[in-house]
Amino acid sequence: MSQARGETERDRLLRIIGLCMAVESRGLNPFEVEVQQILGTLREYLPRWIALDDIILDAQTLNQIATVVSLQGEWLKRRSTSLFVDPLLVELKLKMMSSPRLTAMFALVWRPIVEMEGLSGRRVQEAVDYWNNLVSLEERRLKLPNATDSLGTVTKEELIKRKLLSEKTFAEVLNILWLELKERTASEGRIHYWNFIYADTYEETVNRAYLVSFLITYGYATMQINPLEEEIYLIPNKDLVEPSSRRQAISIPIAVDRETWRKMGDEKH
Amino acid sequence: MTEDIAAIDRKIRRAAKILFYKRHRQPGVKGWELKKALGRDYQRVVELLSQRLASLDLQVRTVYETGDSNQERSEEEHERARFYITLKEPLSTSDVVLSGWRIDDVATLVVTVAHIISREGKAPRREVEALLREKFPSWKTEFNLNRFIRTGYLGEDENDVLYLDWRSRAEIDEKLLLRLILGEETKMLEAGLQNVKR
Repeated sequence: MSQARGETERDRLLRIIGLCMAVESRGLNPFEVEVQQILGTLREYLPRWIALDDIILDAQTLNQIATVVSLQGEWLKRRSTSLFVDPLLVELKLKMMSSPRLTAMFALVWRPIVEMEGLSGRRVQEAVDYWNNLVSLEERRLKLPNATDSLGTVTKEELIKRKLLSEKTFAEVLNILWLELKERTASEGRIHYWNFIYADTYEETVNRAYLVSFLITYGYATMQINPLEEEIYLIPNKDLVEPSSRRQAISIPIAVDRETWRKMGDEKH
Repeated sequence: MTEDIAAIDRKIRRAAKILFYKRHRQPGVKGWELKKALGRDYQRVVELLSQRLASLDLQVRTVYETGDSNQERSEEEHERARFYITLKEPLSTSDVVLSGWRIDDVATLVVTVAHIISREGKAPRREVEALLREKFPSWKTEFNLNRFIRTGYLGEDENDVLYLDWRSRAEIDEKLLLRLILGEETKMLEAGLQNVKR
């Protein structure tokens, strides 16, 4: 194949790919693409392709054409339903309507969702227990150490030695826990909150609960709460969900008390 | 026999609790959750609950992930669908206004929803804004669109394209809305308008 002709044919395929992608991303009429004609072109070019890149380009074009054909199917399906109307006609009608007319229309088509919110007796009891066990703010402040006058520096090794800093970074610790959560939920997709955080010592259980709160806050996992059964489950996210793509966050206080930990231990052993 | 009736009765009561009581941030319950709580015959239990609720002007509404609600569905599609309790009959226009909706906010929502439906379920945000700005100031248009996105009536993708989100699909009768706009239900609409004037 002459080099010049090869270039032209390659350009043609690239233009076809561009057209197909535009139809897909901008929601244009997929029947604007002359599928039959393009397939004829591909059939004509195919025997002349020798280089691997050209064959890949041919396959990419065919793939894009397949997408357009699928869009054509969807387009026809949509137009055959009762929901298809001429958008310009709708726009014109809407522009001519007054706000009261539109409101009357909304009242006729609107069936609002009915739902209830409430607290169960058990949850109220937990809240009361939490309140009763909570040390006053003043006392909590007293327990904080006084700031010293002298400032100094301390090395990372020293912090690790004093157990103020772990050898693993916080991100690493979270990643390990995320992997563990994924593994333990591989079959059922979720795990009971207490089953996951439970460890042999109470201190470790609290530590795991603390880390789990970060898994949820940072988008590594989500929490499912069944208010009727008062059960909390953890569901790992397949990939990290960025905070901006999540809905508005809410805080859920969970008491990790020694009594529940002890009961869990009795059940397990 | 009596035991069977009692068991079904218990299941209906349990279904009512599950469906009424808000379990997640988003209202409604997935089919698989109902199946887990009520057993394999959960669809029949839900149907019986819907029949009982009808006397209170309520109904159980099923919203499938895709497609028309009248088409045949597989078991898997039922399990992935979301079930809600909604009003069965429409509210009066004055009730809509009394429930806290400003008349111009409702107009904004109706125009946006109708425009999106007519554009096959997707419309660029700037196109919708341009349409709304013909009658409402830009700040109000933007504020309302953001509010409808927050409350689940609209969704917006990364290309600034608006689509109908879960609340619209659960609460708005899309076919009836189009019929009303095209003037196919004049009598119904005139009766509603009388309601506004009163």
